[in-house]
Amino acid sequence: MRRWSVAAVTVTSAALVLTACSGGPTDDGGSADGGHLRIGAVVDLSTWDPAGAAWGNEATYFMATYDTVLRTAADGTVEPGLAETWEYNDDRTQLTLHLRDGVTFSDGDEVTAEVVAENLLRFRDGTSENAGNLGAVESITAADEHTVEIELSQPDPGLETYLSQNSGLVGSPAMFDDPDAAASPIGSGPYVYDEAASIPGSRYEFTAREDYWDEEIQHYDSITINVYTDATATQNALRDGQVDMANLNSTSQIPAAEQAGYTINAAPVNWKGFILADREGTVNEALGDVRVRQAINYALDRDALLQAIDSGYGEPTTQIFGPENEAFVDELEDRYPYDPEKAKELLAEAGYPDGVTIVEPRTSFVPASDYELIAGMLVESNITLQGEETGSEFIGDLLGGKWAAFQFGLNQEPLAWQVYQLAVAPESAWNVKHVVDETVQGLAERMRLGGEDGSAAARELNEYLVEQAWFAPIYRVDGVLVTAEGTSMTNKTGQAVPNLWDIVPE
Amino acid sequence: MRNFLVRRILSGIVMLATLAVVGYALLRLGTSDIAQKIAGQSAGPAQVALVEEKLGLDRPMLVQFGDWFGALLTGDLGRSWFSGQLVSDTVLSRMSVTVTLAIGSVLLTAVFGVLLGALAATRRGWIDRAVQVLAVIGQAVPGFLLAVALVLVFAVQLDWFPATGYERFADSPVGWLRSVTLPIVALALGSLGGVAQQVRGSMLDVLGRDHVRTLRSRGLPEHRVVYRYVLRNAAGPALSVLGLQFVIILSAAVVVEQVFSIPGLGPVALTSTTQGDVPLVMGIVLVTGAMVIVVNLVVDVLQGVINPKVRLS
Repeated sequence: MRRWSVAAVTVTSAALVLTACSGGPTDDGGSADGGHLRIGAVVDLSTWDPAGAAWGNEATYFMATYDTVLRTAADGTVEPGLAETWEYNDDRTQLTLHLRDGVTFSDGDEVTAEVVAENLLRFRDGTSENAGNLGAVESITAADEHTVEIELSQPDPGLETYLSQNSGLVGSPAMFDDPDAAASPIGSGPYVYDEAASIPGSRYEFTAREDYWDEEIQHYDSITINVYTDATATQNALRDGQVDMANLNSTSQIPAAEQAGYTINAAPVNWKGFILADREGTVNEALGDVRVRQAINYALDRDALLQAIDSGYGEPTTQIFGPENEAFVDELEDRYPYDPEKAKELLAEAGYPDGVTIVEPRTSFVPASDYELIAGMLVESNITLQGEETGSEFIGDLLGGKWAAFQFGLNQEPLAWQVYQLAVAPESAWNVKHVVDETVQGLAERMRLGGEDGSAAARELNEYLVEQAWFAPIYRVDGVLVTAEGTSMTNKTGQAVPNLWDIVPE
Repeated sequence: MRNFLVRRILSGIVMLATLAVVGYALLRLGTSDIAQKIAGQSAGPAQVALVEEKLGLDRPMLVQFGDWFGALLTGDLGRSWFSGQLVSDTVLSRMSVTVTLAIGSVLLTAVFGVLLGALAATRRGWIDRAVQVLAVIGQAVPGFLLAVALVLVFAVQLDWFPATGYERFADSPVGWLRSVTLPIVALALGSLGGVAQQVRGSMLDVLGRDHVRTLRSRGLPEHRVVYRYVLRNAAGPALSVLGLQFVIILSAAVVVEQVFSIPGLGPVALTSTTQGDVPLVMGIVLVTGAMVIVVNLVVDVLQGVINPKVRLS
């Protein structure tokens, strides 16, 4: 009996000690006081090595530690970064970058033209999925200690934007041959990664660099990025007030975030819908007819699907270009109103009075419930979706053009050229059948040269793609970021996360 | 005892080697498009080919296995195909976290499981019924739900513990304790009832034996009969169940670590398996396998300590 009394007293005392030490979240040092920013990320960092860096949801990690050659503002305007000024030659096949003087990495090495050139070449020749962004780069040389000359095989209107993203990350030369570079970044950025205090995969700690060349963008003394790959963990962190800013895993978490007192910052980032890849009818003859592809567009009740799938957080659309993109055409949003009768009419004209059947892959990208919902809707227009189970090993088949059409979601990049390179160009990953269209190619050549005519060509391309129904977008889905009281941010066009310097204490 | 230990260690090594071969084969045969996944969905054929070359994925499978196994024999678990980080660094840094949760859960389960089981066996009545209900609930309710419920009550409502995150012991012992309490409790609650049931059953069996009647007839106090004689005899089966619970808790930790955003083996096991990151998955499989082998060995040794008959056999 005495032993149990002692045990009971011990347990009770421990409980009292623990509760006495409570008083708010403690794993990151307390709530925001303007000196410390706590970010909740839904994606873990894949590698610190700039040569293999991803972007998108991982951008925050890199923006903390590295500088990029150029920067883009929240509205997509290109701004100076490590390069103070830059200019093209007359035919836009040479970009000259003039680097600012006196910038050093956190290990003390200077950022020189040679180092920048080497970083860019390593990215071009590296394993990043965006390495193709620098595909037009033929050579990069250091004209002098602070001048970089990039020779292009042909003009690339996206290059400046690419240099503000992972393509333009500049790491210390000490990382080049270091097998541990993936875990230990050395950058010239506004914050220094604190490897000792961090727990990779869970929590990344950064402290503001004292001698940083652009103090104006350092709004915090320190930053913690917490990784919440699980939606429940994110929700619990919000409920407990453990973050000042966070991505949400899905729009379904918005009510919980609002209840916890967070401000919702929603902006469309991706579009969801169909990629009608088989425009030449090699896999499914029916899809080679534009009327069949248009019928699919008419068969989609975009408003209803947005409401049913994403609770209305987004905007119905027929375009793969976002509203901030130069190629966006407002009138195109009304091109394909929901009209099952019109869809059937088009199918009959195309020689399919009894409808068509389309075999599509059931992938992990799209929830099964969404498949069922959309399939049920298309049946009303005599379009039958026949799902083919793929398991987890389908990407090679998908990108190899096995299926005539499939449901997917793609980023609405800020530049029209980026969208073209991502999903329209014959060699692009998501033109899976590598369809070559003369009209598209002609418009792309005009886009390549940029300027007003380039923008006009982008709009014409958009109109052509919508008219030819290369895709059947359903809606732009909102990417949602939340901010706690005392923190504000500015959404960045076409990017899942804001610029780190656009997150500020209020 | 020495011979027993040597035999068990040798058989453990054989088991790990078998696990390495079978696990690697199943993983490689069951995954494809790894280079595409590593390079990224939007990566072109050139990037994919570069990844294949860099990681040696363009070589025959047997050659790849030979290289990996040869390195394994020197203690080199390789590098993650996705992050490039040393597998040993990743696994060892996270293993300590998972083991902390597992040991904490087992200890909690042991202490309260034995206590509740003993009370149920000796007091009977409402305690006995409560233990049986607890056993059913613990087995029926997923650990995920238990974790969420604990967070809502003790973290969000009462603010006694953090809802997510992990504090290293070296950084703050109190912070560490607070960060692991709810996950440990969530893991323990799932197995507590089962252990209590086992202890209850074993004790009821022993309590009915002749030697216990004899002890009572000799005038020994009841608490001495129960805790010095009965419990010791009933501990054997409970110990086996606890050893099994350790393995079950390791599996349950995958979900609990996700919910609490704890940097243990669970989240990285989930991610690496989904990605097809073979070196990392194999590292986790082998380390986990080694832990299970060690735990079973410890249980067997303790069985021998408790019960001399086991030693002799």
